[in-house]
Amino acid sequence: MRLTRADRHLLDEGTDVQRKAMGILLTVGRLVEAARLVPITSAHVSGASYKMIGDPGLEFLEDFAQTARVSVPTTVNPLGTDLAQWQELGVPPTFAEKQGRIARAYEAMGVRPTFSCTPYLLGVRPGFGEHIAWAESSAVCFANSVLGARTNREGGPAALAAAIVGATPEYGLHTDRGREPTVVVKVRTKPHGMDYSLIGLVAGERVGDGLPFFRGFRGTEEDLKWLGAALASSGACGMFHLEGVTPDARGARVKGLKSITITRDDLTTAKRAHSDGTEADLIGLGSPQLSAAELQRIARLVDRTPPRIPIWVFTSRIVRDANPDAVGIIERHGGRVLADTCLEVTLLEHRFGTVATPSGKGAYYLPSLCKQKVIFDDVEALLERYA
Amino acid sequence: MRLRARGIVPGRASGTAIASSAVFSFVGGVDPANGSILDEATGIAGERLEGRIFAFPTGKGSTVGSYVLYGLGKRGYGPAAIVNRRADAVVAVGATLAGIPMVDRVDVGGLLTGDRMVVDADRGSVELPDVKAKRVVTAILRNQGRILIVRRSEKVGTFRGRWSAISGHIEGRENPRHRAIAEVREETGLRGIVLRSGGDPVFARDGATMYVVHPFLFDVPSRRVRLDWENVEHRWIRPEELHRFDTVPRLTDVVAAILGPPA
Repeated sequence: MRLTRADRHLLDEGTDVQRKAMGILLTVGRLVEAARLVPITSAHVSGASYKMIGDPGLEFLEDFAQTARVSVPTTVNPLGTDLAQWQELGVPPTFAEKQGRIARAYEAMGVRPTFSCTPYLLGVRPGFGEHIAWAESSAVCFANSVLGARTNREGGPAALAAAIVGATPEYGLHTDRGREPTVVVKVRTKPHGMDYSLIGLVAGERVGDGLPFFRGFRGTEEDLKWLGAALASSGACGMFHLEGVTPDARGARVKGLKSITITRDDLTTAKRAHSDGTEADLIGLGSPQLSAAELQRIARLVDRTPPRIPIWVFTSRIVRDANPDAVGIIERHGGRVLADTCLEVTLLEHRFGTVATPSGKGAYYLPSLCKQKVIFDDVEALLERYA
Repeated sequence: MRLRARGIVPGRASGTAIASSAVFSFVGGVDPANGSILDEATGIAGERLEGRIFAFPTGKGSTVGSYVLYGLGKRGYGPAAIVNRRADAVVAVGATLAGIPMVDRVDVGGLLTGDRMVVDADRGSVELPDVKAKRVVTAILRNQGRILIVRRSEKVGTFRGRWSAISGHIEGRENPRHRAIAEVREETGLRGIVLRSGGDPVFARDGATMYVVHPFLFDVPSRRVRLDWENVEHRWIRPEELHRFDTVPRLTDVVAAILGPPA
């Protein structure tokens, strides 16, 4: 890999942590045969839930935090519980204590304590063509597809290394060629609500690590957030194009590509395939965390049809604090609005066995990461069913 | 013998090998407290990584594997070096954090637990001082979906009575492709053979000898074979039937290297 004088300087003269971070980037660069490092304008790191990274992750982060400092604006993924409400959730004190230490380690490194999988809803909006280094597959998909920024699907430590160095290996989705579609996906039904999650799940299964070019429908930014999160779960996708909507779609070369079709039947089948529960003991909304508009809408729905089983709504601390009215309505009906954490990285398995959710990413990961059975349906249908 | 490798994490280390035939995850595959192998599928459960050269095909599993490897290295329970067929990012990042030299593009199927090894990631090499290399060619002959296997006679020097493909030793600086064509003609008498492709060498171990097998695929126009003294019997089989025969080491892998894995 070709290094600039500044890269070389960091490798030779930097602190231990800077040299180690540079070492990680060089290792990844050698693996993928990248030609050089490209400067980044922001980083987003994953690996913050104690449930996911355990004691090995905690140990590494505390060691690293003694001297590591990020050099670009950096946000961090959700934790394993809400730092303010963990006691009411029945989370064991040792879990909460270790979770708190992970949060403090990231803060000590200069990472913004967003604890969110939706940095793009919190003022981190990289522009078209900007190079960034983000972990968290759903945010990667959103940044590449909807914003037109450029990032690979970074692993947690590699994204942290990029945050410290301020650069990342240039390959894959950082390059024009890596952003070309590999397969055309025609959607022959008009999607609404959870259909976006379903399209993502079905397409991800079919395209694997390909790059889909969707045509045949439209969607808002929020719709595409759900589509991308599901696509990045069932497939190894870091990006998609949607004809007439996403910024890179114009000029993408689709001539001669293989084409597949998704029908209403495919969506129905996928919905059934991801529903293995019979009776839910929790409604979980999130994964990714809800935007302010989504939180307000849920509050209206809950106010109209309050559920008789617990409902946990996941959002970021920033959105929660900015929407006390919506939070108040949901809490008045016995629900909880949880911040700092998200549906499948939070501790659920100590209390619940079956979760009802409209999230495609949630439905995909709840069985493996939380040992839950799933009821997978639209939020309106779930609220009716458990009214 | 010395093998070429691709350096992934810089450094140099020597030690005895601990070799897993299965893909490996540092999450659940090893006890993070002391570095002893837990995963039974590796065939080396109970062995400890400390100071050894850890050879396995490739890594699998979550990013947490990087942190586990870091912790093992920090406590001195990590391996001295890592050798992979194909490095993956989780293990490579963990090895970087732990300062453990790592190379890949080595066919670890030829490495045995207990082999003395020197791994040099800076120069991109793996040395096995106690092992001698013998270069051989193996020719997979194909006719309408079936491949030829032959049973080695009692007069040959090695692997008597075992099933094999057409094969032979490479002498000196001889071109492996030329040797393969010559062996097919000598051992089968077939004419009109067409060389389709060659594959990366497969390492097949027999004690202190490492057979560096250069595989080639030929299409042949006829199944009428005239064996010479080296072989006593022949069959045309479907590739997926190979496991039913008592073959020379790694013949299945040689066939997979050239035809793809069995369906």
